[in-house]
Amino acid sequence: MPTSAPEWNGALLTAAGLGAGYGAIRVLEQVDITVHAGQVVALVGPNGAGKSTLLKALSGMIPKTAGRVTFAGQDITRLTTQACGRLGLVHVIEGHRVLPSLTVEENLLLAALDQPAAARRTRVDEAYEVFPEIGEKRALRAGTLSGGQQQMLVIAQGIVRHPKLLLLDEPSAGLAPVLIDRVLEVVSGFRTRGTAVFLVEQAVEKALRMADRVYALVHGRIVLDTDAQSARQPGVLERAYLGAAHAAS
Amino acid sequence: MVITILVAGIATGAIYAMIGISYNLMYATSKVVSFTPGQLGMIGAVFGAWFIGVLGFPLWIGFLAAMGVSIVFGYLTERVTVRPVLKSIEQHLYVLTTLAAAMMIQQVVAIWWGTDPRPFPHLFGLGTGLASEKYWLPVVACFVVFIALEWFYRKTLWGAAFIAVAEDVEAARALGIPDVRVRVLSYCLAAFVGALAGFWGGQLLLAFFALGATLTFYGFVPIALGGLGSNRGALIGGFFLGILQQTANYFVGGVFVGVVTFVVFITLLVLVPGGLYGTAIARRV
Amino acid sequence: MATGLEAIASTELPVVAGRRSRAVLGVAAAVLAAMLLPFTVNHYWMQIGTLAFVYWVLIAGLDLIVGYAGALAVGFVGLLTIGAYTASILCEKAGWPAFAALLAAGTAGALFGFLIGLPSLRLKSFYFAMTTLGFSTIVTQVALGWESLTGGGIGLPGPMFPAPFDSPVGFYYLAFGMALIATYLLRNIAFSNFGRGLVAVRDAEVAAEAVGVPITRLKLMTFTLSGILAGMAGALFAARQTYITPDAFTFDLSVLFFIAVLIGGRGRVVGPMIGTVILTLLPEIAAPLVMWSNFLYAALLLLVVLLVPGGIAEFLERLFGKAVKGGGLEAPVPERLNAVLGEHASPKALTLEGVALHFGGVRALDGVSLTVRPGTVHGLIGPNGSGKTTLLNAASGFYTANAGRIAFGEAALTARSSDERAALGIGRTFQTPRVVGNLSVLENAMLGAYRQFTVHFPAVALGSRRGVKEDAAVRQRAVDALVAVGLRRLAHLRADQLQHTEQRLLEIARCLVMRPSILLLDEPAAGLSHDEIEHLRALIEHIRSLGVAILLVEHHADLVFQVSDEVTVLDVGRVLAHGAPAEVRVNAEVINAYLGT
Repeated sequence: MPTSAPEWNGALLTAAGLGAGYGAIRVLEQVDITVHAGQVVALVGPNGAGKSTLLKALSGMIPKTAGRVTFAGQDITRLTTQACGRLGLVHVIEGHRVLPSLTVEENLLLAALDQPAAARRTRVDEAYEVFPEIGEKRALRAGTLSGGQQQMLVIAQGIVRHPKLLLLDEPSAGLAPVLIDRVLEVVSGFRTRGTAVFLVEQAVEKALRMADRVYALVHGRIVLDTDAQSARQPGVLERAYLGAAHAAS
Repeated sequence: MVITILVAGIATGAIYAMIGISYNLMYATSKVVSFTPGQLGMIGAVFGAWFIGVLGFPLWIGFLAAMGVSIVFGYLTERVTVRPVLKSIEQHLYVLTTLAAAMMIQQVVAIWWGTDPRPFPHLFGLGTGLASEKYWLPVVACFVVFIALEWFYRKTLWGAAFIAVAEDVEAARALGIPDVRVRVLSYCLAAFVGALAGFWGGQLLLAFFALGATLTFYGFVPIALGGLGSNRGALIGGFFLGILQQTANYFVGGVFVGVVTFVVFITLLVLVPGGLYGTAIARRV
Repeated sequence: MATGLEAIASTELPVVAGRRSRAVLGVAAAVLAAMLLPFTVNHYWMQIGTLAFVYWVLIAGLDLIVGYAGALAVGFVGLLTIGAYTASILCEKAGWPAFAALLAAGTAGALFGFLIGLPSLRLKSFYFAMTTLGFSTIVTQVALGWESLTGGGIGLPGPMFPAPFDSPVGFYYLAFGMALIATYLLRNIAFSNFGRGLVAVRDAEVAAEAVGVPITRLKLMTFTLSGILAGMAGALFAARQTYITPDAFTFDLSVLFFIAVLIGGRGRVVGPMIGTVILTLLPEIAAPLVMWSNFLYAALLLLVVLLVPGGIAEFLERLFGKAVKGGGLEAPVPERLNAVLGEHASPKALTLEGVALHFGGVRALDGVSLTVRPGTVHGLIGPNGSGKTTLLNAASGFYTANAGRIAFGEAALTARSSDERAALGIGRTFQTPRVVGNLSVLENAMLGAYRQFTVHFPAVALGSRRGVKEDAAVRQRAVDALVAVGLRRLAHLRADQLQHTEQRLLEIARCLVMRPSILLLDEPAAGLSHDEIEHLRALIEHIRSLGVAILLVEHHADLVFQVSDEVTVLDVGRVLAHGAPAEVRVNAEVINAYLGT
């Protein structure tokens, strides 16, 4: 579909000149992002840099003050989060926010709400295969699960929707190290399903190990855009983080 | 006379409880406490009386028509007085818009229907005295509503979607749940339940334009006591209020019933801690 | 000398062309028209005028509660009823003279106004509205039921004022005089620090606490004053009607009063006045059915809220007022701070010892000890979630510590509320600026001195000269503070028209007007450009040189290390490192904590 968006270079997701904020507070300035199908791209940066804000702007959870976003060739700048979801851009928000008074099963069925009833069952069972831990607890209220299990549940909710691109906000936050590895293992597995992943991660080292590319966001601006290999070189990230204080004026 | 108090108390309590449930339904998906449920109850009573009593429609047609009118007003409440205000930072504005809407509904009905209370037609013509249908119809309606809603929430996926939007609208949105549509539906449902209270309680309440104001206050007391958002609380609070009123009516009589009710209400409101003043206090600073 | 200061103030700030003189002319014209009314229109319309004045006496008081304090007192008619019956009963049954009964009505109004004010302190908007609704219903029912006293449904005659007020024309002028008094009281409070304080409580309660507004006391005094006016309006109403019955005091009437304030514009005087005139005239124009006029009035409220939330006042401003244009930010002039901060009381240190704070299961602060010495800058850094803001909140009284000791100088702070701590000289800014959007930048800055006004509420209401002088002195101090931070050219803009970074500077200016002994700054440099950070640094250094202690929470590592005398690093609620900036900077653990590796 022809759009007035920037030249479609075949990428799955492109953001150009993106700006966003909350009321009078401007958080993001001039952000450009590209994610190709099947890629795993990591977004790192110090706290308060605007990483969650960037994901929310991409998926339409907050309004954009500037810039355009294109997904699978379509201009999605003005679309609602639900509409983006139907196109295959799924956002798993931070904080393992399951729906606490509903059961695990209901949480997953809800994620498949726009599927026909028969397909829902299949999708939910697929999710249990990836995360047998929550399959065991399917009849329990999601609020009774541990933090780690809840995190698995929200990712499972993402899986159920068969996304083309999954926006993952801090999947490992607050998890014990062994669970972090489990979760990140699942995330790398997305690549084999053909799902691209754009993830915000605090566990920088681990994220870099499984990502293809890395963006670093500092004070609302992209200060690093490179492949994961280069980002792992000593001093590269530190320079990006601390150097930005002078660049951002 | 204890029986009289109980029968009359539970009957009026059932009406109040249903209005309370209407408040809950509007609140759950929008976090807005609206001034309109009482007026929607009045619409159920007045239009029920008009369609069946004046125009002579058959019972179920008249019932559906009256519910239809109320649902339209319920939809308008969401569309015109709640949705525009939700976007604003100033949260209290919904009190003003819904108050304005409630007042407008009341005045329009007063102009069209007149200001005298008019009788509500007998529906089935069953029972006399304390076993008259005017006492047990509202009670039956109340329990049907309560049970139906519980079934809806627990057993259907759309009910789960309602709960999702009520619990965490951002998470629901991210999951792809159409939160706006859910909210509109919940307002229509709230209007339906409110009108049910007025319709099935019509023989007890009369078709009276000022009914709206009465129901607004007395329908709110159950949820103020029972906890906003809890239908069970609305039921208990409603019956408690109904019985309290009838008891006061018997002992103190007529005019001072209101005083007793209000004093009990305000005392409990100030004493009951925590949950009554809104849900968990968000981090202020 | 006061005039000299005013002269400096008025020449320094950008001039707001013509608005003042136009407003004064308008008011004078209205007053003149009102005085001449009985001679220009027939008897009927004069009676309508009398009614408008009587309503205005009540609505002026309601304006303070609803418009300024923001309490949704939907059922205020109960006070009108109480005033009316008090006066009528005293005159009819106890033979009191009318003016004495008028005062008694005011006293009864004061008492019940105070009583209604109590639930407003604890109940949120809708709940409070319902409470007032219930209250007014009860009052009417008591009037109906207590026959021996009130005459029940039959009612009783209203008070009769002595000559020359016993004729309709005479009564018109009595009502007019009362309306003028009500306006005078309203205006005095509205334009004073109490008025600003009320708007702050209404819109930005956190900011109000941070400058030390004693919210309970202020609200109760306001409710009491409104009660007095409503009670007296009731007595006048009863006199005008010559005979009162309970059904004259309907809930609908109460809602109409409430609407008058809101369509007039919250936090305004003239708007609600116009709203009152519309209220009184509408039934005449929308005759024959009073219900149509009620319908239209409610529709008007809906339109106002949806389209012009600022009401008639905003509408008039758009039509007649020239847009207030601000300039941009200027370079700060730190030297002006000398005038602002003035003489210092003995400098005090802020000490935290073993402070712990949990939220549910989370230990936000886990035994933190820290001292901010007077005349020094103490930097506080650490990753997000490390507890920096929590520490500030604990120190300033917005959170209560579960364990440990916090002291300011010799005084233990543990039992003190946030507004008391502000009064002790602890000033703070917030991560997200808390400014009062509906007040001007200058008025926001003046809020800082709230606790330093000495003239009491009743004296201010009556127009105390000393109050006016205090206001002028604080105004000058605020101007100095704005010049010092560079906001001079924006002084007359509404605070919600400011950019985010400008709002941050406004918060700092407000703190400075407070003449604090210690300043707690929460990430003041967030979002600032390189130059702006330099300006901030100069300001902080100058503030320090004047003997004020500063606790600086920041993410901009450069700024912290440059300006601090000592630095504390927090991580997961504990002190990770502490010492001179140079030492802390190279501490390996600190670097790890920041980069999250």
